[in-house]
Amino acid sequence: MIDKTKMEDRVIPYKMLLETIATTCELTERILPEQEIPSIKIGTKCFESVLSEAIEKAREGLPIVGYSFAFPPEYLYCFDCVPVCIEAVSYFLAALLPEGVEKYYDIINNWGHPYHTCSSQKGVMAMTLDDLFKFDAIICPTGPCDNSAASYPFFKYKDIPLILSDIPFLHEEKSYEYYGKQLKLTLYELGKVIDQEPDFNRMKKHIEIENQVQKIQLEIFELKKAIPCPVENLFNAFSAGATILMAGRPENYTFYTEMLEIIKKRYKRGEHSGGEEKIRSIWPYMLIFFDFAICEWLEREIGMSILFDIFNYNLTEPINTKSGLDTLFKGMAKRTMDFPMMKQSTQFFDPFIDDCVKFAKDFSADCFIYTSHIGCKQFGSVPQILREALKDEVGIPMLIIELDVGDQRMTSIKMIKNKIKMFANTLL
Amino acid sequence: MSLQNDPFLNISNSINNEYIKEWQASKKRVIGYYCTYIPEELLYAANLLPFRIRATGHEKTELGDILMVRFTCSFVRASLDLALRGGFDFLDGFLICNSCDHSRRMFEIFNMKVFNREGFKKKVPRFYFSVPHIITEEGFNWYWQEIIELKEELEMAYNIDITDSNLENSIKVHNENRRLLREIHRLRVLEKPKLSGAEALRISVVNSSVPKDITNQELHRIIYKLKESEGIKDLRKRIMFVGSIIDDLKFVNLIENSGALIVSDFLCFGTRNFLDDVQIGGNPLEQISKRVYHRISCPRMMDDHERRLKFLKNEIKTAKIDGVILQRINNCDLHGCDNMLFEHELKELEIPVLNIDREYVQADTTRLRTRIEAFLEMIK
Repeated sequence: MIDKTKMEDRVIPYKMLLETIATTCELTERILPEQEIPSIKIGTKCFESVLSEAIEKAREGLPIVGYSFAFPPEYLYCFDCVPVCIEAVSYFLAALLPEGVEKYYDIINNWGHPYHTCSSQKGVMAMTLDDLFKFDAIICPTGPCDNSAASYPFFKYKDIPLILSDIPFLHEEKSYEYYGKQLKLTLYELGKVIDQEPDFNRMKKHIEIENQVQKIQLEIFELKKAIPCPVENLFNAFSAGATILMAGRPENYTFYTEMLEIIKKRYKRGEHSGGEEKIRSIWPYMLIFFDFAICEWLEREIGMSILFDIFNYNLTEPINTKSGLDTLFKGMAKRTMDFPMMKQSTQFFDPFIDDCVKFAKDFSADCFIYTSHIGCKQFGSVPQILREALKDEVGIPMLIIELDVGDQRMTSIKMIKNKIKMFANTLL
Repeated sequence: MSLQNDPFLNISNSINNEYIKEWQASKKRVIGYYCTYIPEELLYAANLLPFRIRATGHEKTELGDILMVRFTCSFVRASLDLALRGGFDFLDGFLICNSCDHSRRMFEIFNMKVFNREGFKKKVPRFYFSVPHIITEEGFNWYWQEIIELKEELEMAYNIDITDSNLENSIKVHNENRRLLREIHRLRVLEKPKLSGAEALRISVVNSSVPKDITNQELHRIIYKLKESEGIKDLRKRIMFVGSIIDDLKFVNLIENSGALIVSDFLCFGTRNFLDDVQIGGNPLEQISKRVYHRISCPRMMDDHERRLKFLKNEIKTAKIDGVILQRINNCDLHGCDNMLFEHELKELEIPVLNIDREYVQADTTRLRTRIEAFLEMIK
């Protein structure tokens, strides 16, 4: 007889997350007027559903599989398991808990994790030290950054089987073939660890859902070219969360479908979600996860649209699920290598610069805001080059903010707002 | 008999040197690289002198700081700074692999800002190859293929032909070089070590900046000189030094002047680079690739921490280590996290450990000295 409470307690932080998301969902439903910030209402409902099911599966005793945000979760649905996104837990809790997750960052820092590593893994590392998560296995690619390569071996030290798929550098045919084989090998390896045979037919169904989602994402992306932008700033934050937590799930399809409908209506009416759009900004890197409210503040106080961040412009091609397994895995490899951050980290920075310049022109951007995150060393040599390219080729400025996107103690939200406010004043 | 004023070892204080100038005067080329995951034998076989990029003695990063944010490695920023000031203009080629996120980006930055800067006319070909982050059969096949392609690119860029015979000769020279370095290492771990950690570091740095056939001759001389010496007799704490790149004596001197002697290390300017040889026989390029790929790794290899720990444990026993100093350059995630695990693992074995962070350019000396002295006092 399974002790369901004991089983459920293998994912205590997911329970915390569910509680905070459910509360947020309820609050926004009650407080916000019907048309206001739909992304938060639809998004929290979808997240709630995904997390509830994960916890229910944990109660049933299914294996808990941790995965890196750069490992598309839809691939894990070839197993009966509870996928737990390592980075999503840290950053969702950072965004939703009133005091953030600093307590956990401090636990792992005190254990010796260097202060300059990425906060996205710190949370779950500390929670593992505190026995709040009991993983049966963790799967991750060897990218996108040094930080992942450096931090994930900690889990192996904690006797959790760590399964690695080696991600090559450069987007070439041979890379897709190599990484496709890596993905297949690692899924079989994971199967051995959790004592299950991978069911690739089931995985295909989840990939197909994601193929549909990608089409909708592309449609929304195109609509952002409109002036004013019909997509609310906060959509980007929820979309980032959806990408790493809900990919391959019906809830993900629901989120994007419902959002598309609302965005289309706004587009037809020529509406902006937060009053007058005065400045159109592109955030080529990440948003600030410890305070999503900044999205609203930008829209309402400054009149600044965030057209998109890194999680909202790296759209991938559909994966061919109709041919053989080799084609399927090659497509999966390509999607993984095109994943936000993974794409930029597995190639030279020239395509990233070219993309940004093109986006600036195509989307009529007035400026760029670059959040230079302490954990992201692979992006550490890029901002100045990008700033020069935008100035020379488009004639627009870029603000660089050095910060920790998941920890408010490094650069506080007040400092960030001050910087943006001063920057915005130079544009108006 | 000290090596302190040895003219050959004084090369470690400079970037360019007379041997490089002579090499280039005879119409041969110099190729710069950052990381030891490169196949040195291949370059040497092509009459290309592999020169390991460093910024020894260069204490500025201002120009580098413009292009790299402050969260990046100060070693790479210092070397970029030096490059922007013309410090590496003597290079005839530039070879980069994805060793770490900081140095990897130098492939693009050097092209854009160093080799294409105003007034710099020389064409410097760049080469890139990727190294897997895990040690597997599939990974090796990938790496070997990359090296085959690199060979072809070198041949095309410099209009040369790299034959198996060239490679075999190069392997002999490099194996001999590593054998000599291992012999020096054995003299270092003796009860009365024949050389200090600072001297060992100088040897290692020079070794990456001078043609290997010349270095080998000099190493023979140095070994003879060391064997003749009495060895270091004063009682000092025997330290193993582990972590990020170090090519400057200041930090090593800080430790050794505090009452310690660094008798062994786990550094890329150190043991990591000479423990393994290229096997003779078979396809020489495959054998070269095997050595680089399968050798004792640095933390960029995600699945090899246990082997690194095993090496540490063996070396602690062999070299009769009293304590281990783990160090990392700030913002080096790879060494930072590897050191974090080492610290716990060594403490579990009751081996005294000090884990510190530093900048590439020696700074914060008083804090570091206090911590080092306190650590040494703590060791029984």
